[in-house]
Amino acid sequence: MVVNVLRADRDERKLLRYTYLLCIVCFVNLAVLKQPFDKGALVMSVVTCLLIGYSYFVIRRFFSDGDKYIFIFSSILSVIGIVMIYRLDMAVSIKQVIWFAVSVTGFILTVVIVPDLKRFSKYKYIFLIFTIIFMGMCMVIGTEVYGAKNWVIIGKFSFQPSEFGKLFFIAYLASSLKDYKDFKSLIEPAVVVMICLGFMVLQKDLGSALIFFGISVTMLYICTSKLKYVMACIGMFAVGAAISYQIFDHVRLRFLIWRNPWSDVNDKGHQIVQSMFSLASGGLTGTGLGLGHPEYVPVNTSDFIFAALCEELGILIGFAIIILYFLLFYRCMRAAFYGEDKFSRLLAVGFSTMIACQVLVIIGGVTNMIPLTGITMPLVSYGGSSMLITFLALGIIQKISEEGR
Amino acid sequence: MDDITKNIKRVLIVFLICFVGLVSYITYFEMVVGPKIVNNAANKRVWVKRNEVLRGTIYDRNMQALTKSSKIDSTTQKREYTAGAMFAHVLGYVDIKYGLTGLEKKYDEQLIYSSVQDTVMSYIKSGGKTQAKLGNNLKTTLDYNVQKKAYDLLGDNKGAVVVLNPKTGEILAIVSKPSFDPNNLEANWASINSNKNMPLINRATAGLYPPGSTFKTITAISAIENVSGIMDRTFNDTGKLVFNSKESLSNFNGEVLGNITFKQAYVHSSNFAFGTLGLDLGNSKLKETAEKFFFNSDTPADGITIENSKFPTLKSYEKGNIAQSAIGQSSVLASPMEMALISATIANDGVMMKPYLVSEVMKNSGEKVKTIEPQSIKQVISANTSKIMKDFMRTVVAEGTGTNAALSDINVCGKTGTADHSYDGSNTPHSWFIGFAPYDNPQVAIAVIVEDGGQGGIAAAKIAAGVIQTALNK
Repeated sequence: MVVNVLRADRDERKLLRYTYLLCIVCFVNLAVLKQPFDKGALVMSVVTCLLIGYSYFVIRRFFSDGDKYIFIFSSILSVIGIVMIYRLDMAVSIKQVIWFAVSVTGFILTVVIVPDLKRFSKYKYIFLIFTIIFMGMCMVIGTEVYGAKNWVIIGKFSFQPSEFGKLFFIAYLASSLKDYKDFKSLIEPAVVVMICLGFMVLQKDLGSALIFFGISVTMLYICTSKLKYVMACIGMFAVGAAISYQIFDHVRLRFLIWRNPWSDVNDKGHQIVQSMFSLASGGLTGTGLGLGHPEYVPVNTSDFIFAALCEELGILIGFAIIILYFLLFYRCMRAAFYGEDKFSRLLAVGFSTMIACQVLVIIGGVTNMIPLTGITMPLVSYGGSSMLITFLALGIIQKISEEGR
Repeated sequence: MDDITKNIKRVLIVFLICFVGLVSYITYFEMVVGPKIVNNAANKRVWVKRNEVLRGTIYDRNMQALTKSSKIDSTTQKREYTAGAMFAHVLGYVDIKYGLTGLEKKYDEQLIYSSVQDTVMSYIKSGGKTQAKLGNNLKTTLDYNVQKKAYDLLGDNKGAVVVLNPKTGEILAIVSKPSFDPNNLEANWASINSNKNMPLINRATAGLYPPGSTFKTITAISAIENVSGIMDRTFNDTGKLVFNSKESLSNFNGEVLGNITFKQAYVHSSNFAFGTLGLDLGNSKLKETAEKFFFNSDTPADGITIENSKFPTLKSYEKGNIAQSAIGQSSVLASPMEMALISATIANDGVMMKPYLVSEVMKNSGEKVKTIEPQSIKQVISANTSKIMKDFMRTVVAEGTGTNAALSDINVCGKTGTADHSYDGSNTPHSWFIGFAPYDNPQVAIAVIVEDGGQGGIAAAKIAAGVIQTALNK
C-alpha cells in the first residue's frame, strides 16, 4: 500500500516536471523566434511554472486526499493556452496569466474555504434565483459581440453572465434532482431548463444553449437511469431546434453556413473558412510555433484557438489536447464515482459534463463537424470569466474528490 | 454497485465515443478535405509562402530578362514584365487576385524554390541571420528578336504566330494578338475582361481555327501512305466537285486547273483534287493520319498547354463533309501550335519533337539546377514521306500559292491556307501559312494565322517570310 502511494506520488511529480518542461521549451522557442531575443517569454515561462508549482505544493501539502491529477491536467491545458496566446498576442497573454493566477487562487480557496458540500444542497431556490438572474441579465443589459448578445460590459470590466449562470444552473439541477422520486418531481427542473435554453436562443448564444442541454440530459440520466427521459429530451430538443430554425434568422444562418461554408467565403463563411484553412495548413506536425499564419483566423485567441494550435503545433497536438480533455473529464467523473452523497455526485457530473460538452461543441465547431457556435475552449482559450468558472468548477470537484470514499 | 455508479460508467462511454468521433472527424478532415481546400484562392497563406521567396527571373535564350521581381515588404512583392504585352500569353502572369497563368504557372514550383530553407541547420550556418530567399531563374527557348518581329508584323490584326526549332522542339516565339499588359492587371482588368476580342486567350495554343488548305498537308500525307500509285495519278480539275444536287466543292476563286498531277494539286491547292482524295481515303484513314499528329488527343509539351485540335468522325454517306474535312473545313479545327508542329515534323524527317519552353533552370547565382534536353515524341511519318512533302512544300513557295513567303537567299518551304469560317458573321476568311526553312537543313518551323486576313498566300505568307528571315539571321 505504502509502495503504491509512493509510486503514484512519483508519477505525479514526473508529470508535473514534464509540464514545466513543456512550458519552458515552448517559451524558449518563442523567445528565439523574435529578434532580438525575447526575454519576456522567459519571464512568462518562469511565472507560469512558479504558479503551477506553488499551487500544486499547497494542494498536495494540505489536502493530500483529493484527486492528484485534476490540477495537473488543467495546468497542462492552461500552459498550452498561455503559450499559444503569447504567440498570437503578447498583451492578451499577460492578462491570461493574471487570470490564470486569479483562477488558481479561486481553485485553492474553493478547496480550502468551502465547508462540507452537502450543506449546500438545501439552497436550491437560491441557486435558482441566481441562475435566472445571470441567464436573463444579457436580455436587459447585454452587448452584442460577434453576433451573440451574451456579454455584459460595466465600465472597463466585461464578462459573460451565462458562464456564471452555468455554475448556479448545475448547482440548482443537482439540488433539485437529488430528490428525484417520480416524474412529477422533474417538472420544475424541466421548466427551468427550458427557460434557460429560451434565454440562450434569444441571446443568439447557441453554443451555450447546446451545452446547457448536454448538461441537463446527462444529469437527468445519471439521476433517473431512464433512457426514455433522455430520448424524450432529445426529441423535444429536436422540435425546439426545428422551430428556432424556422423562426430565427441567426439559427438558420448558422445551419446554412455549416452546410456550405464556401458560398460566402468573404463574409458570412469567413470565420469557419479561415479556420479550416488554418487546420488544413498545419498538417500532422504543424508549421512550427510562430511559423504559421494563425493571424488570418478571426478570434484566434479564444473561440478559434484550436485551429491556431493545430496549424502551428500540428494535428498531433490537437489530438493530444483532446485526449487531455478526456483524461480530465475522466478524473472529474471519477470524483462523482466515489462521491459521498447524491448532491455532490450530481454536482461533479454536471461540472465534468460542462467541460466535456464545451470541448466537443467548440472543437466540432471550428472543424465544421457541427454548426459553429462561439464558445470558449475551457482553460485554453483566452477569457477571464471562462477560466475562472472552469477552475471554480474544478475546485468543487477537487473538494468532492477529497470528501469521497 | 448502485445506479449512479453504473450510469456514470455509461455516460463515460458515451462521451468516449463522442471524443473518438471528434478525433476521427479531424483525421478525415486532414486527409480528405484539407488537401482540397488548402490551395483555395481565399487562403492567404499560399501567397505569403510564395512571397517569402523573391520570384526568379525568366530570361530569353540570349539571357535577356523578360521579368523583374522586387520586394515591397516581407509578404508582398512586385512582378514586372519588361516586354509588357509582347510576351503576355506565353509567360502568363502571377497575381494574388487573378492567380497564375502561362509559364509562371507551369514553372511556379521552380520560380519560388529557394535553397535557403527554414531549418535549424541553415539557421546555425548563417549565424542566426536571415538570408534573402531567391527563387530559381529560368532560361527559356524564346528569342526576344523573333518574338518582337512576329509581334510587330502581326500589327493590329488578330491572330497568332508560332515559331519552333524543328530539330529540337524549342519554342522560339509564341505570339497571340490582341494582347494585354500583364503589368497593372488590377487597373486594366475590367477592360481586358470585357474586350470582345478576348485578349486573355492564348490564340497560339488555345485558339482553334479551321485550318483550311494548310490541312491538305495531312491529306497529302495520308494519300501518300494509303493510296497506291498516288504519285503518278492525275486529276482532271474542273473547278467544281459535285456530290449531289445541293452540295458541291469549288476551287478558290472558281479557278479551273485542268489536268494536274498530285504534286501540282498540292502546289496550286486544288480543292477539287483534295476533295476527291478525301472521298477516296474515307473518314477513317484521314482521321487516323490526323490523329497521328495529335488531333483529338493531348500533345506532349513542356511549359505550355496545347488545346486539343479536332478532327471529326463522319459517316460514309456524309460525302460533302468528308470532302470538306480533307481541305481543312467542315468541323476540322486546329491550333496554330498544332499546325506548326505538323510542318516541324515534316522538316525533321518525320520525327516530331516535344515542344518545350524552358531549356535551363538556374539558381540565382547562375549555378545550373537542371537542363532540359530535346526529346523526340515519335516518328510520325516515314523519312521518305517527309522527303516528298518537303519537296511539295518547297515548290509551293517557289512557284505555287506561297510565293509571297519566298526570300532571296533562303529556300523557304510552306503551305498556304484560306479558311472560311462563318461563326462570327465575317465573310473574310482567315489567312494561314505553315512552313519551314531552309529547305536543305531546316532550322525553323512556323505557323501563322491572321484572323479575317483574307487569302493565305498574302497576309500570312508575308508575315512568315519576315519572321523566318529574323529567326535565321542570328
